[in-house]
Amino acid sequence: MAFAREALRNIFKKPVTEKYPFERREPAEGFRGRPVWDMKKCIGCGTCVRVCPVKAVEMIGRGREATIKHHLERCIYCGQCAESCPVKAITMTPEYELSDTDKSKMLHVYERK
Amino acid sequence: MVSEALSFILQLLIFPGFLFIICLAFFSEWVLRKFVARIQNRMGPTYTGSGGILQPFADFIKLLGKEDIVPAFAERTYFTLTPLLCLTLPLTALFILPMTGHRALISFEGDLIFLAFIFTTLTIMVFLGGFLSGSVFSMVGGVRAATQLLGYEIPFLLALFGPAIPASSLSISKISTWQAQNNAWGLWTQPIGFGVLVICLLAELELLPFDIPEAETEIVAGWNVEFTGRRLALVRLGRDVELVLASTILADLYLGGPQQVWIIPPIIIFLAKMFACLLLIGYLKTLFARFRIDQVLSGMWKYVIPAAMIQFIILKLIW
Amino acid sequence: MSGSTIKVIIGPQHPALKEPERFILETEGEYVVDVKVRIGYIHRGIEKAMENRTYLQGLYLSERVCGICSDAHTTCYVQGVEELLGVEPPPRSRFIRVVVAELERIHSHLLWLGIAAHEIGFDTLFMYVWRDREIVMDLLEIVSGNRVHYATNTIGGVRRDLNDEKIHKILKGLKTLEDRAKEYLKMIQKEQTVLKRTVNVGILSKSDAIKYGAVGPTVRASGVKRDVRADDPYAAYDEIPFNVIVEDGCDCLARIMVRSREVLESIHIIREALKRMPGGEIRVRVKPRIPPAEALSRVEAPRGELLYYIRSNGTDKPERCKIRTPTLANIPSLCKMLVGGYIADVPIVLAGIDPCFACMDRVLVIDREKREAKVWTLDMLRRYGREWYRKR
Ligand code: SF4
Ligand code: SF4
Repeated sequence: MAFAREALRNIFKKPVTEKYPFERREPAEGFRGRPVWDMKKCIGCGTCVRVCPVKAVEMIGRGREATIKHHLERCIYCGQCAESCPVKAITMTPEYELSDTDKSKMLHVYERK
Repeated sequence: MVSEALSFILQLLIFPGFLFIICLAFFSEWVLRKFVARIQNRMGPTYTGSGGILQPFADFIKLLGKEDIVPAFAERTYFTLTPLLCLTLPLTALFILPMTGHRALISFEGDLIFLAFIFTTLTIMVFLGGFLSGSVFSMVGGVRAATQLLGYEIPFLLALFGPAIPASSLSISKISTWQAQNNAWGLWTQPIGFGVLVICLLAELELLPFDIPEAETEIVAGWNVEFTGRRLALVRLGRDVELVLASTILADLYLGGPQQVWIIPPIIIFLAKMFACLLLIGYLKTLFARFRIDQVLSGMWKYVIPAAMIQFIILKLIW
Repeated sequence: MSGSTIKVIIGPQHPALKEPERFILETEGEYVVDVKVRIGYIHRGIEKAMENRTYLQGLYLSERVCGICSDAHTTCYVQGVEELLGVEPPPRSRFIRVVVAELERIHSHLLWLGIAAHEIGFDTLFMYVWRDREIVMDLLEIVSGNRVHYATNTIGGVRRDLNDEKIHKILKGLKTLEDRAKEYLKMIQKEQTVLKRTVNVGILSKSDAIKYGAVGPTVRASGVKRDVRADDPYAAYDEIPFNVIVEDGCDCLARIMVRSREVLESIHIIREALKRMPGGEIRVRVKPRIPPAEALSRVEAPRGELLYYIRSNGTDKPERCKIRTPTLANIPSLCKMLVGGYIADVPIVLAGIDPCFACMDRVLVIDREKREAKVWTLDMLRRYGREWYRKR
């Protein structure tokens, strides 16, 4: 019966569960969500392609003309690409609701304007 | 004559009979789930109906639509019979317990014995159903249910018959009427008996700390592991009705049952008492870890049976 | 005896196991008389995959060996690689590694406590403990950005620094956590039903614990003072004074007590580490290619000693990477604990070693006749498979 008091106390407390799809929580500062490429900065060096542990980044063409394809379904949000990019063209955004049933929506293509 | 028969049938089917009890059972499950969730700092059901009030009903409907499988090794007759009896036995028992007024729907001298008989049959059904479903887990569960019965049956019967002594009647309706009229609730006159009965009802309902026959983490779902679809739906509804039955027994035998207070109709008073008992059961259920079967047996024989006996002796000395 | 026994099969799918693994229990009535363990249901080929990835990419793979002790795995891995490279991580990074490792230990132990409560049917305690575990999860999120894969370690240091604001938040969180942990410790020791289910259950005597090579809280609950943090200090553990928690109960309660007390000890270690943390760099740059060498690295993961063996061959990829997780080391002791107990006690005893089967499953063949364990290479496996099919 050691928990009798604790249990009674909790009856009148608000539940700690969050009603997730209705109430969203702000991710913490420095959260690694979806990486986003800034093609104005990118110099097309290919480092992000090389370091990515799951081959989620694809580069078509080379140098300043290159297009980058990011496969969200493979990405493990490790943030290594953002860390390794020499010109800091990649940022990890706090977006986290990224699953989808449509695979084509999982592919993000970054082209140069 | 005809109108009397018709009104009896209506009572049996609708109020306070079949339909009312089933609704009450669903509602009790919801109350219990919400209450336990609150104790544990959770939300409980929220989705179906306002505050998830329709969730038990939705679960029931969903299970009805699921595939119904009879395992190849199962004994077909018992496998079908167990879920049916799981529902009908407690339902029958509720007909003899007074809910709306001084008299139960069906009441006769000695219906208390009938009630005891129903409880034992229920456990034996559980044992047979579990043992004959042909799975190791259900077999172990069934044997555990029967073993547990050995532990709690004697104190249960003693606590059940305790209130009959001061009222000098074996009819539940008369006992509760006597308690209400003399303002001598069983809870005050025989508190040990009340405690014993609560413990035994927890064991009978297979709630913590006595949920040994269906211990999820040990033997999956115990005796009801093989039931699916319609059968599982019946088993679960049976559980809910049993819950109502347990709280009703407590309310009728120890809290004076339905009684008129001022202008409040007896049914309201009865429901208040019943839900108080339900919450007590729910509260106790959250406080413990599960016992082991040998610990239940030794604990029951060492502490609960002597307690029940002492209560009985004290009663005999006073009355 | 064999005539009257019933085989109760636990797993590969069973509510008491969160992961697939098979235990065949020979039972007599409610007693367990023999146990057979069959492992390998979730072998994921991680060691082989390591060989096809660069050292940096392997880091993220090692993190995903286990979702609960992800930081222990990366720490062990980067230590091995740093040894191969012959670089020393800067002092500040070593303290940050300690902070994250201890936060992780708290989270893992609390998680375990909840699971243990659930196994003995005490769901209320389970909910309370997991509710309060959220505090430490939030702290980890503050430190590393994410809840599960912290990705804090990198070869040559750590990736993120701690600033004053974060340190302040950690200290504040730890205070609440400490109060709660103390409260639970008191309540658990008083709750009769918990004691009834854990005292004298799953006994592993001191001599058996040593004989079967148990590790981590399991061995410490049997009265053996064995902790990699103290015996072979890594990161900054040699600069922080702390106690190795030991209990002599040898039973499940002792395992609960060891872990609960370790939570308090970890809180103490974090405070000390934050106090003594030097300033300066948090990482050094390293070369991607590593000359041929071998390294063996050990850390004390929340579940016990974790071991990485890495061999380099001059390229940017390891030639071999062997991982030995604590659960594997504890399996022989587990069999010892189960025999002679009740079926009802199997879940709590199983949970007692805090098993993590997904990280344990590797190609490991135990030869019953020769009583030796060997790790098979892909080639050997292929040959074995071919022969096996021919024989059929
Ligand atoms: S690493 Fe940076 S600069 Fe290089 S290709 Fe990737 S985004 Fe562009
Ligand atoms: S976050 Fe990691 S997995 Fe995702 S694209 Fe960048 S490097 Fe690859």
